[in-house]
Parts: sequence; structure tokens; C-alpha cells
Amino acid sequence: MAVRTIEVRERVMARNDELAEEVRRRLQRAGVPAFNLVSSPGSGKTLLLERTLERLGREIAMAVITGDVQTQNDADRLARHTDRLVQAVVTHGACHLDASQISRALEAIDLHATQLLFVENVGNLVCPANWDLGETAKIVVFSVTEGEDKPLKYPAMFRNAGYAVLNKIDLLPHVSFDLDLAMANALAINPALRFFKTSARTGAGLEEWIEFLRSSARPPAIASPSLIPSSSPVPPW
Amino acid sequence: MPAFGGRLPMHELSLALEVCRLVEGVADRERANRVTGVGVEVGADAGVEVENFRFCLETLLRDPPFDGARTDLVPAEGDTLRLAYVEIDDGRSHH
Repeated sequence: MAVRTIEVRERVMARNDELAEEVRRRLQRAGVPAFNLVSSPGSGKTLLLERTLERLGREIAMAVITGDVQTQNDADRLARHTDRLVQAVVTHGACHLDASQISRALEAIDLHATQLLFVENVGNLVCPANWDLGETAKIVVFSVTEGEDKPLKYPAMFRNAGYAVLNKIDLLPHVSFDLDLAMANALAINPALRFFKTSARTGAGLEEWIEFLRSSARPPAIASPSLIPSSSPVPPW
Repeated sequence: MPAFGGRLPMHELSLALEVCRLVEGVADRERANRVTGVGVEVGADAGVEVENFRFCLETLLRDPPFDGARTDLVPAEGDTLRLAYVEIDDGRSHH
């Protein structure tokens, strides 16, 4: 018998990343930006999306893919605020969404009738950081009832995110959370991070968030998406 | 995925299953009779709990088509997570 060692050096995430690139090309062809909302459980992702759909849903055609470990509760909540498609992905115990799930969920979404896509990831600050879903940017939601050191504890997530939403700011008078310290910690990990300070519950600070989404969304009046040249200028996200 | 009835209870298990998929590809390509060892490089920032990952991988490698292949986790830099090598027995006698 002959035992041989085969050098491989193949990234374990290679297949996911290939699928993510396919998703990214599909979204870019349709001109639809996609934001992947990540956070620990209970930071307010779903309420933020509900408020976003309420405020912007009549103006901008938004679709949501929402990942949930065991239920469809979030999808049901979101569906009350929009007649647009909300695609639920139940992960059956898995702690993150992967690109194949996004690819399948996109089959049910008419991208040419969509201006903005949200992916609401499973509440978890560890694993989703490493799974590229083909999104335009990750947005980490971080609430003031958590610790200011969260960016230091979960650096991969803050490093890979383009934006951070500091949520539940209405609770600041009741908690010992130091907003400046939290932001400094996040910027130490990722100096390019852009912040929004919101309370999805009271609506405080939502204007800037809404304005950002409005400016990121694909413009509504595109005659034929297939006619967009691939060299069209890069949108502002 | 057929293992565990399609239910992936954790991150490390889904990664271990992906490693096994890659290993099977290598074993097929090399026409191996048996896989005897699997080396994976795991970075400190790979988001992987090493002992948990080892347990998952050892569990999966215990069963066919692997039949007890050795698990070798090699510490690496940053968020590296790579299948480093596959050790196979190709069944041919060597002189």
C-alpha cells in the first residue's frame, strides 16, 4: 500500500464565496443594492426593518429575505408592513445564512421590480461575519443595552461591516452605556465604519437612516434593466 | 445535506461537512482507496471554535467513506480556513 499526501490548500469557504459572487453579479446586473443586517439576538433588526418598511415602503420597492433559526415570526411581522415579498429562510438550527440560501430565495423575488433588498441575518455576531452572501454591504446593528466593548469582542463582524446602527438610543438615560466609547471601539476595529444612531421604537434618528436608504436604492425609472451598460457609474453605496 | 437529516446544529459542523465535501473531491480525483488523514489550517480569527470543530470533523471522518481518517488541525494566521492536505492510500504497491 502507498500512502501519499496531497497538498490542497483550498479555502473551506470557496464554494460559498463562488455562490456569493454569482448572487453579487445578479444583483449588480439588476442594479439592486443589498444590505445584510447582522447583530446579536434582540438588538432590534426586525423592528428597524418594520419601521423602514412603514416609512419608505410606498416610495421604494423593497424586498426582504429574513433568516430565522426555527420560526417564521420575523417574516410574519415584516409582511404586515408591506405587500412586497418577504422571503423567510428557516435555517433549522444553523447559526447563519449562506449564499446558497440567498441564491434560492432570489428565485422568488422579481429583481427588476425591486429597488432595494434587505437580508435579515440570523441573530449572531460570530458566524455571519465569515459568510459572504453577495451583499453590497453588511450593516451591524448594535444596541445600547449591550456592552460598549462589543466591537472588541466581535472584531470580525465590525471589520467586515460598512455601517453600524446604534439602536435603542431612547434607552440611553436608563443604562450606563457610553456612546462615544462604543463608537471609538468600533472605529478602532474599522476606521471606515459609518454610524447611524436610532431608536426604532420611538423613531428618533431614523431620518438619516431613511435618507441613506433613499439615496442607496436603485432609481425607480429604468426603462429596461438589460440595457444598462456594465460600465454605468458606480452608485453611491 | 444528507448528514444529520439535513439539520446543521452548528457552525462548526457545517464547516466540517464542507471540509468533507472537499476531501471527497480530492479522494475521487486521486482515485484513493482510502483517506488516511485530513489537515485543515485554522486561523485565530476564522470564527471557529477549534475543539468543537475537531470534534465535528473527527465524528464525520469516523464514518464511510473516510473510515477513521486522522484529523490534523494546524494553527494559522488571521481568518484562514483552508483544507491544507489530504493523506490517501491509493492501494498501489510501491517499490
